[in-house]
Parts: sequence; C-alpha cells; structure tokens
Amino acid sequence: MISRRVLCAAFGLAMLGAGAAAAETVRVGIIGPFSGPFALQGKNFQAGIEAYRALNGKSVGGNEVEIIYRDLPTANPQQARAIAQELVVKDKVQYLGGVYFTPDALAITPILTQANVPLVIFNAATSAIMEQSPLVVRTSFTLWQTVTPLGKAAIERGIRKVITVVSDYGPGVDAENAFKKAFPAAGGTVVESIRMPMQTNDFSPILQRVKDSGADAVFAFLPSGPPTLGFVKAYNDNGLKAAGIKFLASGDLTQESDLPALGDGALGLVTSYHYAVSHDSPENKIFVEAARKAIGNPAELSFPAIGAYDGMFVISKMIEATGGKQDAAKAVEAVKGLAWISPRGPVSIDPKTRHVTQTIYLREVAKDASGQYINKEIESFPGQTDPGLVK
Amino acid sequence: MSETRPLAASGRRWPRDVIGLAAIALAGGAGYVLFPDSLAFLTRIISIALLVLSLDLLIGYCGIATLGQSALYGAGAYAAGIAAVNGLTDPVALIAVGALAGGVAGLLMGAVLLRAHGLPQLVLSIAFVQLFHEMANKAASITGGSDGLYGIAPGPLFGLFAFDLYGKTAFFAGLGLLLLVFAALSFVVRSPFGMTCRGIKEDPLRIRAMGIGVRPTLIKMFALSGAVAGMGGALGAIATQVVGLDSVSFELSANALVMLVLGGFGSLYGALIGTVIFLGVEHEVSAINPFHWMTLVGVMLIAVVLFAPRGLYGVMTDAVARWRGRP
Amino acid sequence: MQTVLSIAVDAFAYGMVLFIICIGLSVTMGLMQVVNLAHGGFAMIGGYIASYVARDMGLGYAAAVLAAIIGTIAIAIPLERFLYRRVYAQPQLIQVLMTIGITFCIIGITNYIFGPTLKTIPLPAALSGPVDIGFRTIAAHRLFVMVCGLAVALGLWLLIERTAFGIRLRAAVDNAAMTSALGVRTEFVYAVAFALAMGLAAFGGVVGAEFLPIEPYYALRYMVTFLVVVSVGGAGSISGALAACLLLGAVDTTGRYLFPDFGNFFFYLAVIVIVCAFPRGLLGREQARG
Repeated sequence: MISRRVLCAAFGLAMLGAGAAAAETVRVGIIGPFSGPFALQGKNFQAGIEAYRALNGKSVGGNEVEIIYRDLPTANPQQARAIAQELVVKDKVQYLGGVYFTPDALAITPILTQANVPLVIFNAATSAIMEQSPLVVRTSFTLWQTVTPLGKAAIERGIRKVITVVSDYGPGVDAENAFKKAFPAAGGTVVESIRMPMQTNDFSPILQRVKDSGADAVFAFLPSGPPTLGFVKAYNDNGLKAAGIKFLASGDLTQESDLPALGDGALGLVTSYHYAVSHDSPENKIFVEAARKAIGNPAELSFPAIGAYDGMFVISKMIEATGGKQDAAKAVEAVKGLAWISPRGPVSIDPKTRHVTQTIYLREVAKDASGQYINKEIESFPGQTDPGLVK
Repeated sequence: MSETRPLAASGRRWPRDVIGLAAIALAGGAGYVLFPDSLAFLTRIISIALLVLSLDLLIGYCGIATLGQSALYGAGAYAAGIAAVNGLTDPVALIAVGALAGGVAGLLMGAVLLRAHGLPQLVLSIAFVQLFHEMANKAASITGGSDGLYGIAPGPLFGLFAFDLYGKTAFFAGLGLLLLVFAALSFVVRSPFGMTCRGIKEDPLRIRAMGIGVRPTLIKMFALSGAVAGMGGALGAIATQVVGLDSVSFELSANALVMLVLGGFGSLYGALIGTVIFLGVEHEVSAINPFHWMTLVGVMLIAVVLFAPRGLYGVMTDAVARWRGRP
Repeated sequence: MQTVLSIAVDAFAYGMVLFIICIGLSVTMGLMQVVNLAHGGFAMIGGYIASYVARDMGLGYAAAVLAAIIGTIAIAIPLERFLYRRVYAQPQLIQVLMTIGITFCIIGITNYIFGPTLKTIPLPAALSGPVDIGFRTIAAHRLFVMVCGLAVALGLWLLIERTAFGIRLRAAVDNAAMTSALGVRTEFVYAVAFALAMGLAAFGGVVGAEFLPIEPYYALRYMVTFLVVVSVGGAGSISGALAACLLLGAVDTTGRYLFPDFGNFFFYLAVIVIVCAFPRGLLGREQARG
C-alpha cells in the first residue's frame, strides 16, 4: 500500500514537472450486498468493477482510483445512511457507487449535495430515486424500461389475453403497472392481476389459478434467486407449458446464474431485459472474459455486473472531467448526454433524467452450441428511456 | 428460566444511578471524540439500544418470550415518518408521536401475547410482527412499501440545531433521549411496579395470591416497552429520513434478542453493552472483510453461550465481585 | 368441485413437505427440550450433500438421499457432543442464542465452500415431470413427497411408542435423573435422538428441495416457518405436528389460491387463532419444565 502511494506521489511530481494537473488519489465508495442472501449480486458488482479496472487500468488521467467496498447485506436505510456518511466524512470518498436496494438509495440521496459527492447507482431500480437529488446518475435499468417493450412484442406473437403475477413489493408493482399500461396500449387485455406475498414457498396454487383464468400467457415478475425456481417448476408441473400458455417476464427471472438450476424447464421462456451475458458483440466478449476471471466461477456472472462496469465507466469520465478535484455538480454535468458503446450495446445518459438510455432486448431461454443455457436475443428495441420518469 | 439472584436491591441506589448515567454520557462523549466521522453509525446504535432496552423490559423483567419487538419499533418509526411527511417537522413532537404509536402497538401486542406462555408465546410474537410487516408492505400508498417511506425532513431541534450530513444534531439528540429514557427506566424497574413485574417473572401464582392482577400489570409494561421502542424507531426515522420495511422485520427482532442475551438480560446496562458490542463488531468486521463476517458473528455467539452464559454484563459483575471479595 | 380437489391436493403435498422437514425439529424441541433454530441449517446441509452426490458425482437419487442422511448425522454428532450437550439444561433464550450462532456459521461456511448460487438435486425420470391424475396434472414428485411424509409419520410413531428405545427416550425426557438412576444411559439416548432428528432434517431438506430450493440462506429463510409449524402442533407430538402441517398447509394453499394478494395474512392470522385457542399446541405434550 505504502509503496503504491509513494509511486503515485512520484508519478504526480513527474506530472507536475511536465506542467500537468497534480495527481491525486480519488477514492470511490462502493456500497453493495457483499454478504447475506443477496451476496451473489454484490459479487457481481465487484466483478464488474474489477473487470473495468483490469481492462482500463487503475488510474484516470494520472489520478489513482482507490475502491472502498462496504457491505450492506439487505435493504436497511439506517445502515445505508451510516455507511454512506462514514465513506464521505471519514474515508473522504469523492464518489459513491453501487446500491442494490431502493430504500438504501433513498437514504443516501439527502446527503449528496452537502457532501458534494455524486451517487452512481449500479442497480436500485425505482424511477423516483432520480428525482430526489440532482447528483444521482443511474447505469442499471428500471422495470418500466425493461417491461414496456414486452407489451408490443406479446401482441406480435399473437397473445391477446394476459394474466399478470408479480411479487408484492415495489419492483413487482412497478412491473405490473408497466405491463398493464403497455399491453392494452398495444391492443391486448390484462384479464387478471395477482400480487403474491414475498414469502411464498409453494407456487402451485397460484399457477393453478393462472391456468384456470383462461389467459393466453402469464406475465410474471419475481426477484431473481430462489423463488424463481419454484415458480418456473410449478409452471411446468401444473401443465401450463403443455397447455400452451406462454410465459413472459422481466429478465430478472432468468438471470444467467439461475439458469443452470432452472434447467430444461426454463427453455422457451420469453423475457425482456437490458443485458444478456451471451450478447454477441466484440465489446461484450472482452467484458465477459474479464468479468468471469474476476468473479472466479463463470456460472455466477449475471446482470448487476454490467451496471457496475458501466457505472465505473461513468465515474471515470467524471474523474476525467474534474481532473480529480471534488466537484460533484461539474462531474454530473460532464456525463449528461454521454454516449458510448457498452458491452450491452449502445447506451447514453439521458441529460434530463440522468438515467441510462439503452436497447432493451427480447430474449428466449435456449441452449447454445456447448449446451449452456443462455438468454438468446431475438428482437431489440433500441433507444429506450425510462417511461416511469417521463410522465 | 429461573434465576436466583436477589430480587430487591436494598437501600440507597440513586448515587449509583447517577454514576451509571454519567458513565453512559461519558461513553457517548468518548464515542463522539473517538469516532467523529461515524456519528450516523453511533446514532443508529442509540436507536437500536432503545429497542433492546424495551425488549429487556419484557424479557428480562417480566419473563415474556418475544421475537416480535420490532413491530413496536416499526410502529414508532412509521408513525413518526408519516407525521413528518404530512407536515409535522418538530423533532421533539415526532419522538412523542413515535412513543405514542409504540405504546398503542405495545398494548395491542400485550393483548395478543399474554394469551400463551413460553414457546407458543414466542410464536405468537413472530406471527404478530409478520402481520405488521405485511400491513406495512400492503399499505404502500401510506408507508412507501418496500421502496421505503421517504421525504421525511425534520426541522431543526428546538428551532436551533439542523440535522445535517455530519449527524451531530441527531447524535446528541439521541444521546440526550437515551439518558432520559435510561434514567426513567432505572426508576421504573425498582419501583413497586417494577418489582411486581419481576415477581411475576419468578412466580406468577404467588403474585396473584397477593391480590395483584398479573395481566393488567404486564399490559402496562407492554405499553411502556412499546413507548421506549417507538421512541427508538422515531429517532431512527428522524436521523435517516427514510423508513424501510426492515424496521418491522423479524430479522430486526431476532438481532435485538441476540444483542440482549449477549449483553445479559435482566439488567438495563446489559442491554446497552450488548447493543454496542454486537453492532460495533458487525460494523468493524464487515468493514474489514465485507465478504465473510457472518461466520465470525456466529462464532462469537457460540463463544458467549459457552463461556459467558449470563451475558457480558454478567461477566463484568462477576469479575467485580471477585475483585471485591479479595482481601 | 374440481377446484376444491385441486386445492386439497396442493395443500396435502405442501403440508407433507412441511411435516417431513419439521418433524425432526419437533423431536428436538419436544422430547429433548432444545429450541434448535439451526434445524434448517442441517436440512440445508443434507440438501447440499445430496446435490453434490447426485449432480457432481453422478450417482442416483437414492444414493444421494442416503449420503445426505449419513453425512448430515456425521456432521451433527460432534456438534451434539461439544455444543448442544452444554445447553440441554439451560434456559430457552440461551439455546436460541447458541443455535442462531450455529446457523450463522453454517451459512457462512456453505457460502464459502459452495458459493451463493442455487443448487438442485436432479430427480430420477420416474419422479420428474407431470402426472395426470384425472382432474388436473401434478408433479410426480409431489406424489412421492406425500408417500414419504406418511411413511415417516408411521415409522416415527412406531419407534417412539412401540420400541424399547422409545420408552427410554420418553422416560429420559420426563425425568432424566430418575431414568439414569434406573440404569439407562441418558446421554446416549439423547445423542441417538439428536442424530435421528438430524437425519430427518436432512431427509426433509432433500425431499423438499423442489419446494424450498437449496441455497446458503435456506437456514434462515425458513426458520420462522419451521418454528411456527412445530409450535402450533405442540412440540414433541407426532400427530400434533402432522395435524398442524396439514392444517397450516391447507390454510396457506387455500389462501393463496382464492386470495393470493393476502396469502400471508391468512397464514399468520391462523397461527394466532390456533395458538390462542390451543396454547399448548394442537396435540402438545405437557411441558416437563417451563
């Protein structure tokens, strides 16, 4: 550590001699679920960040960038506030990043202006967060954004009547509302809407009800992870698949790290999302290789990594624009309208909402040549903003 | 669950109380001096400490088994938060609202929990907190549901001290509140009412034979406990400006219980020590190694059971007694 | 009618899964008087072993189940000897603290060894896929679970009520000092009962993995459900646990089918009503000490 600091200082002196700006160590505080039930998502944050640093170096414009990870296992605003405050006041971070859960982001936004620190959100996906502070930038997605294109896509596939089934919490309700707006707008009918409690262990009765509803398809949203497994199993076991009832969902349900567990039962599920690990582009190949190396077990790579990777890109641009000096407003101003080719495809930061504008893909779970389960992209909807914000 | 410590501490206790309060104030001051950059964390400790104290009133002094205490804490937090969002900004008034809501929730919980004893009682308390959690989630238009209740902007304390990034106001407000509550509780647990509660814990039959209503006494304690927990919740809501579903979760209740048993139940100091040690270790270890701290916390709990079953405060008093016993 | 039948089948299957996993906890809590919150942790260990044996080693389902039971017992015995034995006579709160600590350790270690992703236990062809039972289709596995549940209930009842070991165990529970004075090695009886409970946990974890998927947080995620079910039934009573599982399974499943939006309200309201009406559990034993 010391030697690195010394090196950095020496480098800084050299830069001074050359007449360039003095180099400083820029600290970035990353808050994420690195332990607990959502540790996998936190691990993906870390993989995305480390992939970025492996590919682009650990300094920006001569300023060394130091990452400080802090663990926030579950949604806990009190703890989020305490950690963010400590990062800002004690560790003197110039940037905050990460944040998996909405309430945690909402607990951090009130201190940003006074702290003079921008917050780059890698995941927390409720539209309203962006309105709480002008210093928030988001590189992930919202459910309004990923679900809206699904309405039209469903109609194109001959689906007319849909029943929605979502987990009863913020993101689930967002997904339901987005679908209930997009699908009728495209000419379909939502016959029934079910909100299931978060702690549901047996999905069979719910899917039996779906089957009895007479809908052509079910639109589902559950948080990624264990419940997905039971839900997809019940979809197969209760004979919905055999009866030809289509399965539509936001891509959270078929995140790549869950696919091996879902197995053949997931084949043919149609989802819409902003990123598939199997996305075919040169940028993505490089990213996936680096991120897989960073995460250790390639099967664990999933969507939060891309939010983190692009988040680090945005933070780097901010550091570049401010020359390593702490100036949150200037930093955020600098990335408004920023457009680049991300591993997920072309993206930009909407200058009005500071939320990422991106291509949403329609995908189907399939097996690739080597027998791995992937989300195969079958249609793309470029340039999607967040409909939850543009009211 | 019988303990054979002497019930009534005789004679003049208040000089000791003054020393105790001074020690808490001193510890708070030391926290402020040593960790001036972590005041939001210290405020969180105080907020949770109020929850653990309230739990001690039920478990340690009345022998009531509960894993639902966060229902009371959450009731206070949400009541204060909703009041704040709807225009009540005076922090003192918000704490009062929290206390009131917690007290009412305590009465309700008492009415349910006192229908059983032991394990079934524990299960009732779990069902109770889960129902609260479901209600808070369902009433998303009022509580914000799983996104959290935000937009809480408390006004300056006494019209003078604003709540800011550094959290000084919140910390000193919290410390002051804790000292007040602690002083009041020290008095209550030694009052005839407090002694009756302890008597009920040891032998309810005998208390009943003395002509004292067991149920009304315990219900009163539930209301008091609820008020204390509610104040803790309100403090958290004011300091964080967001209330999340975690404040009415089973996990928070379970953590509070762990902290209490860690510190040693049946003593107000034990509740404080347990909270500080548990949250301190969690905070430090998770900052040093955010990826594997859970195992270490587990090992710590097992070690406490094996080597200090009466809690850390028990270890301390034993050590003091031994030291005094020496010639 | 069809709907009623359909709900009944789902309810029965779910109730049976709960029963298989929870009955071991009922044994530790009712007969051994230990509030073992780490029970889910042992069920999860069983699930991990079975997943490893069936998926990574490629052995059959039966071998996986057997390996899970034996492996879990092998892990549990030293824990019983060095940890649980120290808290048998302690207050419940102390037991809660210790077993939560053990749960944390189990979660941390599994997370470290196996990683945070879901683990599945591949089913044999005969058990996977839907079966048509006339009025609807149902997973073959669910039928298997129902049979397993009934078999466990019957076997356990015979063991505790009809064998010499059962008599010793019940005697040791009611009066340990007197029983050991009569020449029964109570420590040994306890150790065997504990191993039995852990074996049942592992069996439940494996068989129930289709409902409650195996992942590191299994141990905490379902802790409350298990504890609630056992207490409603009355700790230590097999028929009580069976009744509680079927009743709560029925309430849960019916609630979820008819009013899915309020599923959890029904479950916990039912718990409150039942506990208030039967404070000792549906068919609970008299508690030897309180």
